[in-house]
Amino acid sequence: MPSPFRKSDIFIVVPSYNEAAVIRSTLHPLVDTGYSVVVVDDGSKDQTWKYLKDLHVHRLRHPFNLGQGAALQSAVSYALAEGARYIVHFDADGQHSLEDIPGLLTPVITGRVDVALGSRFLRREDWQAVPFSRRLLLKGAVAVNWLLTGLWLTDAHNGARAMTRKAAQKIILRENGFAHATEILQQIRALGLRYVECPTRIRYTEYSLHKGQRFWHAFDVFVDLLIRRVFR
Amino acid sequence: MTPIQILLILATVVVLLVYFNRLRSRLLDRVLFFVLAVLAVVMVARPDWANDVAHFLGVGRGADLVVYLGITGLAFLWLGLYTRQREMDVRLTELARRLAILQAEKPKKKTRKTKSDR
Repeated sequence: MPSPFRKSDIFIVVPSYNEAAVIRSTLHPLVDTGYSVVVVDDGSKDQTWKYLKDLHVHRLRHPFNLGQGAALQSAVSYALAEGARYIVHFDADGQHSLEDIPGLLTPVITGRVDVALGSRFLRREDWQAVPFSRRLLLKGAVAVNWLLTGLWLTDAHNGARAMTRKAAQKIILRENGFAHATEILQQIRALGLRYVECPTRIRYTEYSLHKGQRFWHAFDVFVDLLIRRVFR
Repeated sequence: MTPIQILLILATVVVLLVYFNRLRSRLLDRVLFFVLAVLAVVMVARPDWANDVAHFLGVGRGADLVVYLGITGLAFLWLGLYTRQREMDVRLTELARRLAILQAEKPKKKTRKTKSDR
């Protein structure tokens, strides 16, 4: 069993870009639980940074927009420097549920795995909440991820993850855009990290559907991943 | 000499001068650029020589040969620039990240030492 730790040793990292409308309602419950929260404003053009001012969170700001993968890596690098023992990835748009975090953390804290990956396809009520077109798209992404990483999972591009400090130190994201979701899997595979999928609920609101990744994003991501195979 | 020949040779010389004047490149780049410029001037001044080379290589006209070689050269140039672009992106990201971490603002209250922490 791991040595005792405080709740503030768990760092929740939240990359955010133009999320002024929802950032506060996403962060409030996280802060109230006593976890440490790191928010990276990825060069937002709206009021996101201003809305963070009085919140009880660690605030970082990219001077210009770099992409979700880059924001995530900045948040993780910072959290590690601040002494984080466990890292939780959490999307800023309010699609994840606070209640799923303990479920993600448990297998990591007990030492059973190095990384816990959120999946919206493990509980019946979770996947039933996924719009049909999304289900198709995500299952397509699952297949692409399998081709590129050799990992066959139930979900793809789920922003909820938990990992140990060691795993977070080893996984270094170079994909600045949305391709980081696949890159994480590539590194889990390459580094031989132990992983498990844990159920997470995704709240599909009009906002998150609008802000979330669109169909053409999938194409962008695929091109990014192909280019990465060619260059470096 | 036809007007177009004069125009092309002048343009080549200007590009060469600007390159030598403004861009401080490595010696190898300068030599390569100079050779290419001389070659270009010769091709323009003596189109029949270009034709001979083209025929030797199985191409109908000298102008066609120049286009083929030009496109191939541009493809390599694009590849080189693209690789450099990616390297620059990596550096820029690293720079922005360090800046963001240096200027990070910590929570105002000290959570790490409160008793209600557990």
